[in-house]
Amino acid sequence: MSDPADSTDGTASDGGTNATASDGGTDATTTETSAADAATGGQPESRDRSVGVREPAAARSDADPTDAEPGDEADEASDDAANGLTVRSVTTRRTNRWVGVAGLSFLTGGLGVATSTRPLLLAAVVGVVYLAYANVSSAPAPSLSVVRQVSDSMPEPGEDVTVTVTVTNTGDRSIPDLRLVEQVPEALSVVEGPARTATALRPGAAVTFSYSVTARRGEFDLDGLTVIVRNASGSEEREYDVATQPTTLTCVPPVDATEEVPLHALTSPYTGRVATDTTGSGVEFASVREYQHGDPLSRLDWNRYARDGSLATMEFREERMATVVLVVDLRPAAYVQSGEDGRNAVERSIDATHRLFNSLLDTGDRVGIAAFSEADIWLPPGAGPTHRAEARHLLATHPALSPTPPAERVYVRPALRLLVGRLPDDAQVVFCSPMVDTAAAYVARRLHVRGHPVTIVSPDPTRRDTVGRTLASVERSNRLSDLRASGLRVIDWADDESLYEALERARRRWSA
Amino acid sequence: MTGYELVRRPSRQSVAIAGVAGSFAVAASVPGGPTATAIALAGVVVVLAGVWRGRHRIVDGGSLVAFGGVVVAALSGAGAMPVVFGSVAAVVAWDSATNSITLGEQVGRGADTGRVEALHALFSAAVGVLGGGLAFVLFRVGPTRQPVTTLFVLLLAAAVLVVALNR
Repeated sequence: MSDPADSTDGTASDGGTNATASDGGTDATTTETSAADAATGGQPESRDRSVGVREPAAARSDADPTDAEPGDEADEASDDAANGLTVRSVTTRRTNRWVGVAGLSFLTGGLGVATSTRPLLLAAVVGVVYLAYANVSSAPAPSLSVVRQVSDSMPEPGEDVTVTVTVTNTGDRSIPDLRLVEQVPEALSVVEGPARTATALRPGAAVTFSYSVTARRGEFDLDGLTVIVRNASGSEEREYDVATQPTTLTCVPPVDATEEVPLHALTSPYTGRVATDTTGSGVEFASVREYQHGDPLSRLDWNRYARDGSLATMEFREERMATVVLVVDLRPAAYVQSGEDGRNAVERSIDATHRLFNSLLDTGDRVGIAAFSEADIWLPPGAGPTHRAEARHLLATHPALSPTPPAERVYVRPALRLLVGRLPDDAQVVFCSPMVDTAAAYVARRLHVRGHPVTIVSPDPTRRDTVGRTLASVERSNRLSDLRASGLRVIDWADDESLYEALERARRRWSA
Repeated sequence: MTGYELVRRPSRQSVAIAGVAGSFAVAASVPGGPTATAIALAGVVVVLAGVWRGRHRIVDGGSLVAFGGVVVAALSGAGAMPVVFGSVAAVVAWDSATNSITLGEQVGRGADTGRVEALHALFSAAVGVLGGGLAFVLFRVGPTRQPVTTLFVLLLAAAVLVVALNR
């Protein structure tokens, strides 16, 4: 969906922030300008809040911070709440680019005097005029409105989304040199066109630029814009870090289930699909025993009765429902990836969690989600469509589940204690972790010995192209072997294979 | 997943604008003889190379050489008109070149910056032409009896006034 024509016609229905953008942005921005004047007149009620984001109040308060009246401030704050605009920081700096010209013109003048060359003296006059040009003006305080539109606010992962940004000069002064740099969230990669532009804007004029990003799983706010304003001579520059009203891109992966997930035999008392060693009613034949009074007639071995007249009851393996908690490793150490590009192990773990969740739910198990992360992520085991939707939303949009590593370290022991306290007694754990450090193995072991059988789904982030990487890879596979030896099930998921393949491979090994 | 790569250098248009301004400087140094022309030309070529590579130092050096060509022309007896407008052209070339380098750094080669760059060069040229005109009028109708040093001191005073007014 990278068709640029999609975006250039700017249909309002396709999910821009500002629905009013297409129904007469210019009219609305005029109102905005008068609103800016009204702010000093103290009539905030009269303003039209229909459009976008405006900056004049904030920019003005920067120019004269001492002049701002208290009422003014409060007014701005409410305005910010309504329009979602804040100037996060302003830097004014002199570029000093004309200093050299000044020096040179005096040198030239001096040379003219020394050699009595009048034309050189005249050239020095030109230099002084340029000096005046550089010094008489300062960078204007802009008043702008920003409207941002996205071609699709609910894209599928991997889809290209075109973002169109329109910036209008709502002030009454021209801006001779305006440079706009869109602050694209780190996790989104720009695939087309720079997310930047530079132009000059007359009052009321607007500039539009667009760029495309590839959507990734998650919820992203497009709300940052760096505005750099210069005066005509470029001697002064103001840089504004502006937070506009956010345009949200929500990218939720489609419901996608892998085939059946092999589980440990720990189950709940409810009927489900995990075949247990307990005998009773079911489909898989287990044994035949002597008839006891009260056995159901349907389970009597009638063939045997026909043969010798003795009564026997057939036993089947009981199939029960499992309670599974999917635990995702979101510690900073888990954010590893093989090679320069590609998905990191956490992305793959979350993807695996998503698929496992759906398949387990499909097979009638009760599934919950937990994570080792700085934020508290806990979805108690449950079933049903609401639960599925809840999990889907959680996995797609929770900020702690973003593809970028967290800033703070995660303490494993308290997190583990919390998790163990929450796990139902009969719950088993599927732990999604790249297993690149001992802490992850520790977690898996602790859970296992506490009676929650652990299946590890481990996306393999290692490579064997250098000595160091080979060492890391060997360490990891040793760690996995140790875990296998302790009775944990390990699904080692290579970078170039699908989760289904990895599960299938693991299942063959376990059943053999 | 190949992303868009931001090239933090000026675009072709930037080179063209600086080239047009620079060619005026070269043309203005022609009356000063082949040496002056050659120096100015060399300077302008360096400026253009500096713009394409996005290097402030190279542009500064090249502009200095180009202006040196104009100065040599003046010393070898070129008239006031070519010297004044040659200087203006050298300054405009330098100004648009360095401006486009900052633009390149901030918004990159891929952005459409032609309009703002042309406008910047136009402003710069207009100021130069006005200033040059002023100088020229001074040259024609000014107090020719005054010693040259007096004029220089007046110039200095004007510069100081301009800076002081802005503080």
